[in-house]
Order: sequence, then structure tokens, then C-alpha cells
Amino acid sequence: MRLELERFDVSGIRGIFVKRVVCVVMALYAASVVAQTPEIEIEIREHLFYPSEVVVPAGQKVKLIIYNRDATPEEFESYELNREKVIMGSGRGVVFIGPLKAGVYPFFGEFNLKTAQGKIVVE
Amino acid sequence: MTSAVIIILREVLEAMVLICTLMATARALKLNLKWLPFAIAAGIAGALTFAMLLESISEMFDGFGQEIVNSCLLMLVALTLALHNFLALREVTASERAKSRTRLIWVMSAAVAMAMTWEGAEIYLYVYSYGVLAGESLPVLSGAAIGAGIGFSIGTFFYYGLRMLTPRLCLYVCTVFIVIISAGMVSQVALYMSQADILTSQGPVWDTSNFISETSLLGELLHASIGYEANPTLNQLLLCMGFGALALGAMVFALMLNSKEEGA
Repeated sequence: MRLELERFDVSGIRGIFVKRVVCVVMALYAASVVAQTPEIEIEIREHLFYPSEVVVPAGQKVKLIIYNRDATPEEFESYELNREKVIMGSGRGVVFIGPLKAGVYPFFGEFNLKTAQGKIVVE
Repeated sequence: MTSAVIIILREVLEAMVLICTLMATARALKLNLKWLPFAIAAGIAGALTFAMLLESISEMFDGFGQEIVNSCLLMLVALTLALHNFLALREVTASERAKSRTRLIWVMSAAVAMAMTWEGAEIYLYVYSYGVLAGESLPVLSGAAIGAGIGFSIGTFFYYGLRMLTPRLCLYVCTVFIVIISAGMVSQVALYMSQADILTSQGPVWDTSNFISETSLLGELLHASIGYEANPTLNQLLLCMGFGALALGAMVFALMLNSKEEGA
């Protein structure tokens, strides 16, 4: 009985150790929440991207969420980012990009080359 | 209209290069092309089904259905093509002629039908939603016709170019070319996987976009025919080379079996 009590006693040296472990775990969890992948939303309206220029941090993975507000489908495409995805009319598509080096990475809507142009600026 | 020409040309060219190479292989082996219309019809049916289902496919797997289904399709086409090469080379001296011919024809048809599925779905989506639904019928449909016309013409030149070679040489050139095309398809899988965050994204290993840009005419042609990539990632290169080794290995194995049979 005494032995068991000792095992669960958190006031002694062992208790301090347990508390520290709990603190470290919580800190790590908090850090992971902070470092979560940044999300960026882009809208397609009237075959144009809004915003047409997006700034993202260098060396980090980014989640692009593309909403197509038009009734027609669009293909989000970029040679520089090596990405290609059809976003159905009134639909939504997610594309992960990066980690990228600083620079400018153009993207376009393949079905509306003349208007649907945009770029990702990595800083 | 110009965008319609470009979009359709890109897709038609990708399909045409593969179909013409398979046609040339078939002719080099003195196979007739009766299977081709059926394979193309199956490809069109596949494309229409794929396009109709694209909305639900897109929502599968947490919104990464397109990436996963496309990757599976690409892998399947590439493996079918590797099998095709093996069978085509075996055909040269195959002892059980009739049986292996039927097998080869089925494999060729399957490759054509599956390869047309994704390209065809994209064409249908574009032409139907912009040409029919959005009411820009004249520019879209005429552009599509021009794009398809250019694609077919390039394909025809390519086919007759291959047919000018001696049958044996034509067979070797076609099978090696098929390895290049299918390795390009497999490397595309790496991109889809990193787009869906299944594989870790990587920076490009090299960048030749200053030399041949993917946006240039030559770049587009090379991309459509052999899957040219100006800035490939390491995963892409590894998949590409791994598959290339497998496909070439299958070809060497077929030739070894042939020479064994010839010697016996």
C-alpha cells in the first residue's frame, strides 16, 4: 500500500521530474500549433484570381485553398511550382506548395490564360 | 480562340504521341490496326465517365481525390506500357504466335484507352463548360478543331516518320520511346503526391527553364511528348529512373528469352 502511494506521489523529486516532462510536452504541443502550415485562400471570380499576388514565407510549406466562385471549371496550374489541379465550378481545391526559396512563382488558370494570371511571391 | 487551340493541342498531342508510337509498333510487328477504333471508343467512354465523376472524385480523400486517382491511372498506364514492351519484343520470335498476339493487342488497347481517359476528360470539361454552357461556342469549338487538327497532323508525321525505319529498328525505337513516355508519366506521380502533401515537397534538383522554358513552343512539345520538366524534384527523378530501370530490365529479359529460344 505504502509502495503504491509512493509511486503516485508527485510532491517529491520524482514529482518535479513528472511536472517537467508534462511542461516540455505541453510546450512542444504549443510549438507545433504555432508552426502549423500557414493557409492562404485564393478566389476565382469572373476568371480572375483574388488576390492575384500572394506573399508567403520562404522555407515553409503553405496550404493554398482555391475557391472557384464561377460556374465554369478552372485548372490551377504553375510550371514554376510544378502544380496542376482542376477546380470544378463553384468548387474548392487544396494545393500544398513549398518549402520554397525566395523568388516569384507565377501561376495561371489554364482555361482562361488571358485573364487568370497570378503569382506567389516568396520572401 | 487561341487559348482553345493551345489547350486542345496540348492534350491531343500527349495522346497522339503515344497512340502513334503504339500504331507504329503494331505495324512493325505486322499486326493490323482493327483494335484501334475500339480502343479509342473505350478511351472516349472512359474520358466522359471520368469528367462526369470528377466533381465527386475531387472531394474524395480529403479533397485530394484528383491527385490520388490520377496517380493510380498514370502508374497503371506506365505498367501496362512496360508489359507492352516486353510482349512486343517477345513477339519477334514468339513460338506461340497467335496467343501472344491477342495478348499484345489487349495490352495495346488498354494502354490507349487509359491514356486517353485523363486527357479526354480535360478536353470534354473545357469544351463542354466553355463552348456549350458559357455560350462561347464559335471561338471555343473552332479553336478546338484547329488544335485537334494540328495535333493530328503532327501525329501523322510522327507515325510515318517511324514507319520509314526498318521494322526491327522501328520496334526498338518505339519501345525505347515508350519507356521515356511512361517514365515521364511516373515522374508526374511524385508531383501529385507532393501537391497532396503525401510525399514531402522538395526543391528542384536543377532548373533548365532558361535553356528550354516549359512555356516555350519547344518546351510544350517536349513536355507533351516525353514529359519534359524544366525543374524536376528528387522524388520525380528517383521515380522516373526507378521505373525506367524496371521497364528496360523487362525489355532486356524479353531479348534474353528470345535469344535462348533462337539458340535452342
